[in-house]
Amino acid sequence: MKRASLYHEQTARKRIASLVDPGSFTELLPPPERVMSPYLPLLDIPVSFDDGLVIGRATLGGKPVYLAAQVGQFVGGSVGEVHSAKLTGILKAAARDAIPCLLLVESGGVRLHEGSSGEIGISEAMRAVFECRAKGVPTIAVIGADIGAYGGMGILVTCCDFRIMTEHGRLGISGPIVIEKWMGKQAYDSSNRALVWKTSGGKTKYLLNDADVLTHDDSASVGAAIGELLSKSQPITLGGLKTRQQELEKRLGDFGKTSDPEEIWKAFGIADIGEASLASGPEFVALAKRKTP
Amino acid sequence: MNTSNPNDLLARFFGESGKTLLVKDSLITGYAQVLTQNVAVIGTCDGTYIDNAAALRLASLVIDCIENHPQMPIVMLVDSAGQEPSRTCEMLGLASFFGHLLSCLQLARQNGHKLITIATGKAIGGAFICYGMFGDRIEALDSASVGLMPIEAMSAVTKIPAATLTALSKTMPALEFGAEPFALLGGVDEVWSADVNVPEKLAAVISSSTQEDHRAELGKKRGGRKWAFDVQNRVLAESAK
Amino acid sequence: MEKFDKTFPSKSFSWPPDKEWAIAGVVGSGNLEVLFERNTESPNTMECHVESSIPGYEDSWLAALEDFAANYPAGGTKVTIHDQGAAPIVVTFRLRQAYDHLLQKIS
Repeated sequence: MKRASLYHEQTARKRIASLVDPGSFTELLPPPERVMSPYLPLLDIPVSFDDGLVIGRATLGGKPVYLAAQVGQFVGGSVGEVHSAKLTGILKAAARDAIPCLLLVESGGVRLHEGSSGEIGISEAMRAVFECRAKGVPTIAVIGADIGAYGGMGILVTCCDFRIMTEHGRLGISGPIVIEKWMGKQAYDSSNRALVWKTSGGKTKYLLNDADVLTHDDSASVGAAIGELLSKSQPITLGGLKTRQQELEKRLGDFGKTSDPEEIWKAFGIADIGEASLASGPEFVALAKRKTP
Repeated sequence: MNTSNPNDLLARFFGESGKTLLVKDSLITGYAQVLTQNVAVIGTCDGTYIDNAAALRLASLVIDCIENHPQMPIVMLVDSAGQEPSRTCEMLGLASFFGHLLSCLQLARQNGHKLITIATGKAIGGAFICYGMFGDRIEALDSASVGLMPIEAMSAVTKIPAATLTALSKTMPALEFGAEPFALLGGVDEVWSADVNVPEKLAAVISSSTQEDHRAELGKKRGGRKWAFDVQNRVLAESAK
Repeated sequence: MEKFDKTFPSKSFSWPPDKEWAIAGVVGSGNLEVLFERNTESPNTMECHVESSIPGYEDSWLAALEDFAANYPAGGTKVTIHDQGAAPIVVTFRLRQAYDHLLQKIS
């Protein structure tokens, strides 16, 4: 009997196929159009037909969505010029058409091989996310892959209306290896997987209200979470920003002196760290007492 | 004039009114004047690293400006080497703090505040993207160090020899570090030479700036990013069918 | 990067009316992506273009492709591969996977 594949194990194309209504996905700028990186060949690095980002349109529970799914295995899901232009384009299309945009994120951030072009590209994509938000068009990021959302992509997902995470996903800017290289093993032992995930993983992000939802690591659960959010958006208001400012100031006040993520878990009502560490996303949610403003 | 001294820099931009700005822990916040126009100012100096608390301080000023000074232009000065590379900053959610700062700037934009950036020193990676690169117009002093990371660092991470990257950077400005190549890519509108009259220049930019993001078009026109604009437009065209 | 082209005779593939292309695999270490496209001009050949980041395995590639062309009706297709060091067994698996997508056996 074939085991249902877990979200974190799926390829970008498989994730899309598992989430959308069967047969509803139309890929934009598909592989035959060969919209690829002009830079990687100059470095003798293999190119990919989709430059590591699959974009298109589909329906989810009958509702139209635009989507963009990153291919984590291709240069670490990193964002180059073409990749970021596809991302910006699909977000701008979403804003134009008032159709929600779904980002299936799996990226270490800017593609270093393409230098500043990816950096500016991510900034353009951020502007496009906010174009959607200004128009009340929902932008939903799913962060459920092991490599997570880091660097400029980590910042970008925090600009979206909603973030759905699983216990596999990670959200941050500087990765553990970079911090360890720069600041030493004492500062961050990147080989300590438990520490890495407690620092940046879905469970801690959920407790801190940086992730809106924490689901099971399977497409049915992720799809259900997306479905709940498709008709919602979070307009940016002065009141909302002031509330968030207070929330973040309180976070620094409560936890700014601690370096141990387990202190955060305990503060949110987790009595048994071991049990919570092994728990699935929804089990963890049940164990915690998260308060959102 | 030593523009690496924050007070000299602020005098150069804002004259006497620069003295009313708060410069604390390498952050600049407050209100000043460009020629005779009132502006809000947020910024970094000393090539500092931006951590969670810093992001909140900058956000706080933006919120204050939105609430108390309708449509006042916000000038963003950038001299930061990056996001604070710290496990605890990451644990506390630095990415979300940056998202909050960007959201504050977005509301300012939505409410009609102009956002004008000048890179005065280092303008690198996450520190630049979390506020400065969000400007309606992005300028740089010609002495500014603008970019993703120097080639030596890129080489260390990608394992591609620095010599290879350096050679390639001659024809690929995306790999070159500096204000001029960043401008070629469309990431900077204009590089200001050392003899420029800063207040006049800044006043002109504030007056003429518009809200649309024209960086991809600029990058194509200038030849530093030849594909982004066309690919964005192709997606828009294909999706409209 | 090593690049080469080779055309193999193959029984004509009956293209489903609503399919123009199919893809399988991803470009990552030890992996490859394969794109099958319709080639109406040449219904009895499988036209292959391979780009591999690991040079020196042309014979191995040609053997795997020739084998595939002989065992499956793949005439009237254009096959393009971007490879990053996949083992022969993975190559064959991906070819079959892309082919199954064409036949709409898997989504």
